[in-house]
Amino acid sequence: MDVNFNEIVRRQVNQTVIRAVTEISEDVKGLLEAALARESNQTAKNMLSAMLENLSIAKEEDKAVCQSPGYPTVYLSAGKDFPLAEVKEAILGGIAEATRKGYLRPSMVDPLTRKNSGDNTGRGVPNMEYEYVPGQKYMDFIISFKGCGAELGNAVQIMTPAKLGENLNGLKRFILEPVLNAGGKPCPPYGIGIGIGGQMDVAAKLSRKAISVRRWDDVNPDSEMAELETQLRDQINSCKLGAAGTGGDTSCLAVKIERAHTHTAIAPVAINFHCWVARRAGIRIYHDGRIEKIL
Amino acid sequence: MSEYVLSTPLCETDMRRLKIGDVVYLTGDIYTARDMAHLKIKSLLKEGKPLPHDLAGAAVFHAGPVAMKQDDETWKLNVIGPTTSIRMEPYAEMVGRLGVRAVIGKGGMAEDTLNACRKYGYVYLQAAPGCAAKLARGIEKIDSVTWLEMGMPEAMWGLKANRFGPLVVGMDTHGNSIYKNLYSSALEKVNAWYPAC
Repeated sequence: MDVNFNEIVRRQVNQTVIRAVTEISEDVKGLLEAALARESNQTAKNMLSAMLENLSIAKEEDKAVCQSPGYPTVYLSAGKDFPLAEVKEAILGGIAEATRKGYLRPSMVDPLTRKNSGDNTGRGVPNMEYEYVPGQKYMDFIISFKGCGAELGNAVQIMTPAKLGENLNGLKRFILEPVLNAGGKPCPPYGIGIGIGGQMDVAAKLSRKAISVRRWDDVNPDSEMAELETQLRDQINSCKLGAAGTGGDTSCLAVKIERAHTHTAIAPVAINFHCWVARRAGIRIYHDGRIEKIL
Repeated sequence: MSEYVLSTPLCETDMRRLKIGDVVYLTGDIYTARDMAHLKIKSLLKEGKPLPHDLAGAAVFHAGPVAMKQDDETWKLNVIGPTTSIRMEPYAEMVGRLGVRAVIGKGGMAEDTLNACRKYGYVYLQAAPGCAAKLARGIEKIDSVTWLEMGMPEAMWGLKANRFGPLVVGMDTHGNSIYKNLYSSALEKVNAWYPAC
């Protein structure tokens, strides 16, 4: 393999990791600004202003946007002949560098002993989601650091045809119940990823991927899902939980749904909250060394 | 909605005057405590051992900072913001008995905390979530760190605050909770759209 190409990949991946932890993606920033512009509740206006001001301060003072690093997952899709070992190494190097520089608080612990590794490394960290796409002439690399207070609101249910209900009303209620229970805990205004299909693991992975990989201001090409996404987002906002969960017009910036086929007996559904601090970044690298920013 | 600048030690009379929606800025001593520090305090109390700090009149912050160790072994604060408070709900009574007057966090807490706020005279203050760089401007310095062996997030950090905020009173001593009120009205809407089976 071409040493120069490997070096380009290594450097680009490293830079993307650092970009992901020092800013939030521009689509989410745009949605926050739009939410502030139409907000009618004074407390929520103050909260949204604080969030936007926080982004400026973090940039100006070269600091982390949020004290919590969240938990990293990497989405990687590539054709053949991409240096995946180098990619993994560059990610780990980027995380170590970001931790050393104070962008990421050391926060990875053993799940049972609670012992902190001290440098954000650990068993299974980061979670790597690889996809091999035959014939693809490029590699898409996205890294997403998702906050974990938001995780406390997540839910999964193996629904049945009966439970989905007429007009999917059972499904919609299943999604809105965790929204009410979560209240202000997932750092609203949040995004919500919903995964439907497969078995439990597939639904859960789709829910994380939907809200991590897609732009929050995109329109789902699957028109039925696009309609459901808009309906759920608007209904969640009309619950008036607001930014920070202390009341207001916008608690949900986006709902993103991905579906996969499942077995005829079941309909697994997973709901996944993503705090407004959308620390994610992505690039596309071609074999000839060209780079495009994709997120 | 009123705005207050309060200094530690906080007194019960001032806390009982606050109402949900009021805005507070805090000056003085703030101690961080998350899951592990609460567990640690619980076990020290059970064993009859002393705590590292007297928490009477203090503010407890559900948070773990990003702090950088300096060459002279002191710690410098980088950023700090609130973590999800509901995880500390099992300690509502303990926090009240210790004389803590303000709990700072995000997302609100539940019925046990609401009862303890009324009984002991403490309030729950909501900080802007995800705003660690902005909130850090209200902290002058790190005074102390205890239990660092539990890791940077879970250690108990003693902070010197200067007009730390803005913080919104989310739960007051009169049995009112912004979160509970919003939940009730939202549940009515959801029930109207999609009745429970």
